[in-house]
Amino acid sequence: MNLTDILTPFTAWAGVFKEPVTIKDPLNREAAPRYRGFHHNDVAVCIGCGSCEAICENQAIDLVPVEGIATKDGDSGLRPSIDYGRCCWCALCVDICTTDSLRLTNAYTWVDTDGDNFIFTPGVDAKPWDEKQEGWRKPQNGYEFYAKERQHMSELHAEHRIDSFIEFVKGYSKEQAQKEADRCVSCGICTATCPAHMGIPQYIKAIRNDDMEEGMRVLYETNPLPEICGRICTHKCEDVCSVGHSGDPLSIRWLKRYIADQIPSDTTKYKEILGTSNIDKNSKKVAIVGSGPSGLSAAHYLALLGYSVTIFESLPEAGGMMRYGIPEYRLPYDQIDKDINYILSLGVEIKYNVKVGKDITLEQLHNDFDAVFAGTGLHLGRSTRVPGSDNKHVYQSVDLLRDIVLGKEIPTEKRIVVIGGGNVAMDITRSMARLQMKKYGQVNIITTSLEDEETMPADREEVVEAREEGCTIIPGFGPQEIMIQDGKVTGLRVWKCLSIFDENRAFNPKFDQNDEQIFEGDMVIESIGQGMDLSYLSEETKSKIEFNNRGRVVTNADFQVQGLPWLFMGGDIIQGPDVIHGIANGHIVAQAIDKMLFEK
Amino acid sequence: MKTIIEKLNSKYNLQEIVYQRDNLVFAAINKENAIDAVTYLRDYEGFSHFVLMSCVDWIEDGKFQLLYLLNNPTLKSDLGLKVYIDRNNPEMVSAHHLWKQIWTYQRELKEAFGINFPGSPRVDENFVVEGWTDIPHMRRDFDTHEYAQKTYFPRGDRKTNDPAEYMRKKLYPNQPITAKQRKDDK
Repeated sequence: MNLTDILTPFTAWAGVFKEPVTIKDPLNREAAPRYRGFHHNDVAVCIGCGSCEAICENQAIDLVPVEGIATKDGDSGLRPSIDYGRCCWCALCVDICTTDSLRLTNAYTWVDTDGDNFIFTPGVDAKPWDEKQEGWRKPQNGYEFYAKERQHMSELHAEHRIDSFIEFVKGYSKEQAQKEADRCVSCGICTATCPAHMGIPQYIKAIRNDDMEEGMRVLYETNPLPEICGRICTHKCEDVCSVGHSGDPLSIRWLKRYIADQIPSDTTKYKEILGTSNIDKNSKKVAIVGSGPSGLSAAHYLALLGYSVTIFESLPEAGGMMRYGIPEYRLPYDQIDKDINYILSLGVEIKYNVKVGKDITLEQLHNDFDAVFAGTGLHLGRSTRVPGSDNKHVYQSVDLLRDIVLGKEIPTEKRIVVIGGGNVAMDITRSMARLQMKKYGQVNIITTSLEDEETMPADREEVVEAREEGCTIIPGFGPQEIMIQDGKVTGLRVWKCLSIFDENRAFNPKFDQNDEQIFEGDMVIESIGQGMDLSYLSEETKSKIEFNNRGRVVTNADFQVQGLPWLFMGGDIIQGPDVIHGIANGHIVAQAIDKMLFEK
Repeated sequence: MKTIIEKLNSKYNLQEIVYQRDNLVFAAINKENAIDAVTYLRDYEGFSHFVLMSCVDWIEDGKFQLLYLLNNPTLKSDLGLKVYIDRNNPEMVSAHHLWKQIWTYQRELKEAFGINFPGSPRVDENFVVEGWTDIPHMRRDFDTHEYAQKTYFPRGDRKTNDPAEYMRKKLYPNQPITAKQRKDDK
């Protein structure tokens, strides 16, 4: 025995004065800061996309309506309710949450005598841990379940596209499309916002499964112009995409184009895929005025229902504004034809160069057909009516865009000024830039709008691309005079625009007269909106129908004209203006006509 | 660490060497050399602490990946050795003689993935699930959802809503819909 052996028992006494390691009150012990405890949901941020429910392996989550939260665009109005009899606090629901609204606090004690009480809607049913900030949150910085950035779309560089009307957006490859489709959480929030209510998650799923034929079937359920919409749709769906709350929204439009692009331009193949080789015809006939998106959509769905459909088109080719308004570099003619040829293959007949109201009256159509649908669009340009706007070198964008398609000689001056800030203004700007490039080898074009940079109605990408192509876009100025010297246009005099609408939200622009600029140019193109040509409505017809304060014909929800039950009107003259609203209108009209004639 | 890895590499021909951090390295090693290497690391390189053993099911490649994570307390460093074994013949040489706790890990892996470690004590006894008759529950082809559906009963008072369908009924109940929705409505 040595000295250490004797002293060791006493050294243990040194621990008497140390802080004990054991915890006195283990029930109230604070959990680790990243502990995965009970749920909290910021219901004001949550959009009820249901990704939490979909990912939950234990099926612990239900989506339930919550009082005070309305269902609206981009928000289902539902919120997750969680069954703690099933939850295992794995936090997958938090990790997938598209809005980052759901988190787990580090609270972990909840005592109740009734087992059925352990089910609650976080953020709605008040809980003691609601204010706790510690706990598990969605991991960031590369640990997300889906890529935050969308697949890049390849485009022709500005210098390679500016001298021709060749399509410059190249479309996704299979690999890109599948990667992009992988980002979709399949919530379907977008479907409500799409005017045609397309089955977006369903066709994106078809891309993931590499099943293009299934994709086509989903597209044609609600949209018979997929090649067209896949290129130029205003993609309102992307504005509400749940993935867009924390990252780029899905490229829904390009994915739609990808599907349509994969199917060869062969109407027999289309019919095979879509199961439309044999349609039982009925004896009813429907006349359609105008072969734009609403007319073609109505024709397609009516043809599927067995009707004989005749479209009366005033121009030499079908498509309306899609062909005669949208430039070829955004929407090539062969793609328009691909969509239209399939509709024609269903037995739809188009009478070209027939102007209703001139070559044949609307009343005649009423006599010869069981129902009439008019989707005549907005083809009249609107003038600014500023001094000088009546000069012959002042043009309307819609007229020039149409003349380009018709192959007419387009007056192309060295210096051009465009008035307008919408998509049509960008279309004419970029078209004229191409013509200038061809004629003079350089672009010299100024486009100005009342709206400032942030509020310009044109799609952002259009403005960016126009600038890439060398066009000068100067937003925030109002035209005061088109300057004329010796009968020739010399430029546009503008004032800085301070505000566009007054306190009553009426159009009443205010200008700063001290901030005057002159945009020099040899021709001016006005592109400030379009009007409708309803001259095909006779005085007698007009007397029977009602017009609202915007000059639009009043219809019911089925686009049936009040006062004239045989007449339906839709598309840009009623709603929109855009292609997808026209398509949606045409679909509704087809079903309404079917209902009307069937019930007769 | 670097020297140890280089030495180990020259002895056993490692693959997929990843220097995760200064004090954490992963590498793959052949099934035949794995236990020899673990023994060597314990006895000659100071990896005296066995941290854990785990498995990943690479079902697409037809392989299970075992991981032996070792710790060197002097260097305060960890080394993870990965071993790929055939998924159709899930068997590995037992390492229970090196550390006693490996008994338990191997028993767990037997139950969860169906990997056998012949000679490992009590390897065939239940680990956490008793009376399990299905395929091992951590294999990726085990359908947890399907199993739960057929084994457990749902709570009676629960009701859920599909967001897209709910929005349709609230926002546009009368507008044209897809054939599937028409069928569901009927």
